Amino acid sequence: MQCLRAPLSDLSALEGQRACAEWQQPGQEQSDYHPYDADYCMQSLCPVETAFRALHGCNGGGENENHGNVHGSNDCFSNAWPDIVSSMHCPVVGAAASVEETSVNASSSSSSRKRKSENNRRSKENSGGSDGKDDSNCKRIKEETGVGAATPEAKRPNKRKEESADASKENDKAPKSDYIHVRARRGQATDSHSLAERVRRERISQRMKYLQDLVPGCSKITGKAGMLDEIINYVQSLQRQVEFLSMKLAAVNPMMDINIDSLFGGREINPTCKSASIPMIGMSSELLDQSYLQFGSLQHDMFMGSSDLLLRPNVNPAAAVSDTSLGSCLNVNGSSVWNTNLQNVYGVEFQLGRGTALPFQSLQGNLLPNNLKMEM
Amino acid sequence: MQATKSFEQAFLRHLLRGFRLSAVSYKSMSLQERKSAIKLSADVAMASARGSRKWTRGLITKLSREDEHRSFLRLILGTEYGRRTKPRHGSWKIPRSKKIVRRSLRVCSRRKNNLRAPHGVKSGVLARTLVEKRTHALKRLVPGGESLDGCSLLDEALDYVISLRAQVDLMQKLLTTFEAPKLRALSKCTLPERKASFVGK
Repeated sequence: MQCLRAPLSDLSALEGQRACAEWQQPGQEQSDYHPYDADYCMQSLCPVETAFRALHGCNGGGENENHGNVHGSNDCFSNAWPDIVSSMHCPVVGAAASVEETSVNASSSSSSRKRKSENNRRSKENSGGSDGKDDSNCKRIKEETGVGAATPEAKRPNKRKEESADASKENDKAPKSDYIHVRARRGQATDSHSLAERVRRERISQRMKYLQDLVPGCSKITGKAGMLDEIINYVQSLQRQVEFLSMKLAAVNPMMDINIDSLFGGREINPTCKSASIPMIGMSSELLDQSYLQFGSLQHDMFMGSSDLLLRPNVNPAAAVSDTSLGSCLNVNGSSVWNTNLQNVYGVEFQLGRGTALPFQSLQGNLLPNNLKMEM
Repeated sequence: MQATKSFEQAFLRHLLRGFRLSAVSYKSMSLQERKSAIKLSADVAMASARGSRKWTRGLITKLSREDEHRSFLRLILGTEYGRRTKPRHGSWKIPRSKKIVRRSLRVCSRRKNNLRAPHGVKSGVLARTLVEKRTHALKRLVPGGESLDGCSLLDEALDYVISLRAQVDLMQKLLTTFEAPKLRALSKCTLPERKASFVGK
């Protein structure tokens, strides 16, 4: 049994390295599209995750199209999961893979052909020798007919589930035709419905495990109904929190009015405003980003220290400051100068009222190009 | 599990843009209107930063049902508006007739009961109805979840929870950012003179 498992992970690593290279290339514009890819998997697991992604990606067709096929296509992995779980950090990889899988499935064309990946072919070759002693049935799921062609040899009742994991045969064997083979576990019924159902149940329990990690305080709850209950409560509480926070933000709003009007409104309403205010618009968003990224304590001294920077006379018109530069600046890791600026700047504004907002506009305008110089 | 930095940055960017776009009439709005405007831009920012998922499309569709939101959405999303609201080919769901589904469920449940508990224990049925009830509740909570089956519903719920958490985090940080100067002003009275001297230069 061990030998069956090993090839799968080896090949996954191999696949992963290849897939990793080709996946990383269209990186930039997909970074928003798939925001969870790189960070979800730890670095060492990236190959595995991309391997699974690549393999899932080979399976075209939407999930909803053909229930039996989907289950069949994911069989090799859902069956393999329990084995690989312990060695790799399953939730991270699995979540990414499952997230990827659904997104890939959703985005792929509606072809119902499921391409067999090399992985399955190779694992079939490797495990070809051990087939002879197989006593459970090998089942084919034909995608055209959707009917299992299993020989009803050993029909055991459904009651005997969860036999030892060693006894389960995990690998698919697929010729280059588009059949997806599922192995029935030892001591379980082998008709198509129960197999598909078992696969479906395993997937659901997998997702439940990830959600258990996600929702706080769910480690003790084991049943599906209880877990669903917790998930529902959590989602509801998050939604209520969003409402509450937006109400609070609206209440803070007299301040936000000042900020938004002077910071942003100048651009929208009055396009002929001073050039100094334009850099500030991009920069204030930046400041928020920096404060967001490095949300540290307010350090008054640092502000005074940075006043030298602020006092430099040249005001860079920087009319080109727009969302694009904002976007580029977002990737800049702020120096320590940035740490304090937002709170201090806003603090000053509030202190001195709107009348003096203008000099600060120019000062803030200085800040942007200076830091751009620093960072780039 | 955490949302990535790029997601959070894109989220913040869209959020600020949304604030800017809706800020023109801020002064004249009541508290309720401001709150709903903020919530709207937060939701749209979350959906557009995440990309194209079932729940993002559902959310945008739900938001665009109201006419006043539609222009805002169009402004924010621009060309993506049409793309996001249109379902993709791969996610076409099978048209299901309720009667047939119900009938097949009944058959399946009967067969399951006969196989598992031939001696008449109905706990399985009870558990299943509980689960079904909760699944329906979850479907109502997750935007766009009505047409999903159990597995993908859990997927989308997972994604949605992560994005919601990121949204809450972001808004909390924004809130503290906006409120911090006030708090500091209350605590540190020496601040004005320093700033005044600074401004004087």
